[in-house]
Amino acid sequence: MNDTQAPAIELRNLTKSYKDLNALDDISLSLEPGRIYGLLGRNGAGKTTLMTMLTGQGYPTSGEALIFGANPFEHDQTLARICFIRESQKYPDDFSPLQAFKAAALFFANWDQDLADSLAKDFALPLKRRIKKLSRGQLSAVGVIIGMAARAEITFFDEPYLGLDAVARQIFYDRLVEDFAHHPRTIVLSSHLIDEIANLLEHVVVIDKGRIMLNEDAESLRGSAVAVTGNAEKVEGFINGYEVLHRDSLGSLASVTIKARLTATQQEMAAELGLELSPVPLQQLVVRTTLAAQSREELTESQEALK
Amino acid sequence: MSRVMNVARMQLINKWTFLGIPMVILVGSTALTIAIWAMIPKGGILVSGSSQAVVWYFLALGIQSLTLTFPFSQAMSVSRKTFYLGTLGLFATIALAYAVLYYVLGLIETATGGWGMGGQLFALGWISENNAGVQILFYFVIMVLLFMIGFWCATIYLRWKATGMLVLGIGVALLTLAWVGLMSMNHWWIPFWTWVGSATVLGLALSLGVLCVLLAGGSYLTLRRATA
Repeated sequence: MNDTQAPAIELRNLTKSYKDLNALDDISLSLEPGRIYGLLGRNGAGKTTLMTMLTGQGYPTSGEALIFGANPFEHDQTLARICFIRESQKYPDDFSPLQAFKAAALFFANWDQDLADSLAKDFALPLKRRIKKLSRGQLSAVGVIIGMAARAEITFFDEPYLGLDAVARQIFYDRLVEDFAHHPRTIVLSSHLIDEIANLLEHVVVIDKGRIMLNEDAESLRGSAVAVTGNAEKVEGFINGYEVLHRDSLGSLASVTIKARLTATQQEMAAELGLELSPVPLQQLVVRTTLAAQSREELTESQEALK
Repeated sequence: MSRVMNVARMQLINKWTFLGIPMVILVGSTALTIAIWAMIPKGGILVSGSSQAVVWYFLALGIQSLTLTFPFSQAMSVSRKTFYLGTLGLFATIALAYAVLYYVLGLIETATGGWGMGGQLFALGWISENNAGVQILFYFVIMVLLFMIGFWCATIYLRWKATGMLVLGIGVALLTLAWVGLMSMNHWWIPFWTWVGSATVLGLALSLGVLCVLLAGGSYLTLRRATA
């Protein structure tokens, strides 16, 4: 295998269709190993479908999903490097969390039982209760623990926080960062709660309606937009020519989010005009970008309809 | 290979499903039958089919081992092929163990004069007159057959849901109807029953064995593209 050159995750013109719906629409993507990725998007955007293709649990209609350059579908050597616990993961009816961990220890070569034990303690998970009797949050905890303790080379977390309370979610984020520091690997976190995980992410992929809307380094993404607030006329003058992501106004005041990296001179200019510049939270950025793309799409559609 | 073994070990993590429950059924049904025999008036040979009980449980086991464990095995990064081989391998081993156990119980039954009561539970006439190999093969094939039927039906349900079951049901009904029609129109019933009556245990075991292989192949092809 050609590990050093092959990206951890690669998609080539991947399409998955169900009857009349394209869940994934000609997606191409390449992600390098050893980072924490955020796979963001609305419910039904295609996040789970994408991870299903990448983990060999499903197969594409056309195109390729590759893990370290190999197709994971029915390929045990490649599958052994991945861990993917679904949000709606099913467990054998009569299994307890303890037994599920025992099974995981059989299949994941890097399984860390101590980590599993300590996480179970942190999440206050009843280890001997049958899984089907656990609450939604406890069920999520089982998936989170397996995903983390498996220490697979590529780990997918599918909305891992469902039903977890704020404390448990914080424990998950903290422990994930801590473990990642000691055991760097590729982690893909799928989520629609963007702000909560924004600090963890090194790279962001946003999908909507089966297509990639954004694929950018989190750091550069954070600096890629700015909110300009102040007198409406002055704001309009200042933002002239930039792509507008969002517009808010109240009386003579306006706040406009633009896609721009401002130079020092421009920042001074803004200050002289009495305009306030503020960073845009990742969540806002993702929401605005998605919505802006949608309205563009609708615009083209309506224009086409007029023709 | 070790992953195939691990699938078998995973199926055995809960010891009850594959090991405990069949044993309870076997011991329970046997004890119950003997208790009934002890209560009824003596006279002639007592025959019971209660030893079938475990065999029928294997039908349920075929369904369970797929519906309960397959989606979990996917999360354990196990390929469908490995899951299939590990599960069938484990089952074949258990079926073989039970087949040998049935044979041994049959020997004990004969030696003790039908559990001291002239009863027939395991050493059923038509089968027990054959040699050890044929008897064990016969029990083994019957158990595997029921397991495969359960396993395949569950796979069809997993892959095509209710539509799959409906098509399967209609398909089986149509095939049966066609077969009955064919037999009747050609007046093949009498030769058929003569053939059945003259069939040997070995012949029957072998023909059912072929059916097992077909079911196993069908299950694999169905599972190959199933999604949990």
